Amino acid sequence: MSADAHYRFPPSAAYPLNRCLYALKSDRAFIDRFLADPVAATAEMGLDEGERADLRRMDRDALVARGAHPYLVFMAGLRLKMAAEPSTLEYF
Amino acid sequence: MLVGAFAVAHTPQLLIRPETEDRDLVLRVHAAMGRVKRRLEELRPDAIAIVAGDHVEAFFLNAVPALAVYVGRECEGTFGPYRYRLDIHEPLARAVVEQGIERGFDLLYTQDAPLDYAFYVPLHFVMPEPARPIVPLHVNVYLPPQPTPARCHAWGAALGEILRARPERVALIASGGMSHFPGTDRYASPEFDYDRGLLDLLREGRGRELARVTGEELDKRGNIELRTWITLLGAVGDARADVYCYEPSWHHGNAVVEWPIPGS
Repeated sequence: MSADAHYRFPPSAAYPLNRCLYALKSDRAFIDRFLADPVAATAEMGLDEGERADLRRMDRDALVARGAHPYLVFMAGLRLKMAAEPSTLEYF
Repeated sequence: MLVGAFAVAHTPQLLIRPETEDRDLVLRVHAAMGRVKRRLEELRPDAIAIVAGDHVEAFFLNAVPALAVYVGRECEGTFGPYRYRLDIHEPLARAVVEQGIERGFDLLYTQDAPLDYAFYVPLHFVMPEPARPIVPLHVNVYLPPQPTPARCHAWGAALGEILRARPERVALIASGGMSHFPGTDRYASPEFDYDRGLLDLLREGRGRELARVTGEELDKRGNIELRTWITLLGAVGDARADVYCYEPSWHHGNAVVEWPIPGS
């Protein structure tokens, strides 16, 4: 896969970051902790300060540049929105 | 035996609609999925084999299988407020994994992994009544390096042979697609013309040509999930597609398709 592919091999250096995004995507208890106190929630995931700052802003471009998987960034953001604003959604 | 084959979009906005999504479009896709449900009730399958790409839910970076089969008695998962539990057709699932490995496909199997929404969203809308047991079949689409389209097609061809030799009536569903680029700067500009060209090709029964597409092209065209369709195309051979709908939203080419199986 070329270096400019939309979805690239996730670098192992970004494993803690991707693990945190995975938790935001799939772990409702972690989502709630993040919404309540993002500084404390990201501190428990072994991230450096730059990663934690980008996560708190959900800065997609910065996170992807750090090696975050774009889909994980996307769905983590959507799940945070679903958790924070459930009344704006229509459920089928 | 293989009695039916379908491809169904699974974008989560079809299940949980944010204000950003056109409600009429969502309902039109629901209507097409309702047609699949009625067709499945006519076809009376004993089991539904569903090929989907896990969205980094069951398989995170601790283990990234190219191809996997769920072989437990049941499977379950969650998405937002939805909690789902589905029966697995265990004899069929076990036959698929055993015979697949005999045929040279090094399948991972799981009796415990959670079930991603890519499986659940289509089944939420198309599961016939009464509900049938399923065989969930995972193809890695999101974590590079993914299996090549040629490999997916070859696996689908083997899967089709396995299913046709079984006593159960089996419907096969491919979940996913078409063009979309979640999490990238292309999110709002999918390749709808590429999708329409693909659908024309599939209407002509030329699905086996997709075995020659490269992984790079699928990535470039926002069609990494087409690997699930290509797996199905290996199973249905030169069957011609009946396109129930193609509904391009601002970020996603939503398609619902049937490949009628002769004699079913």
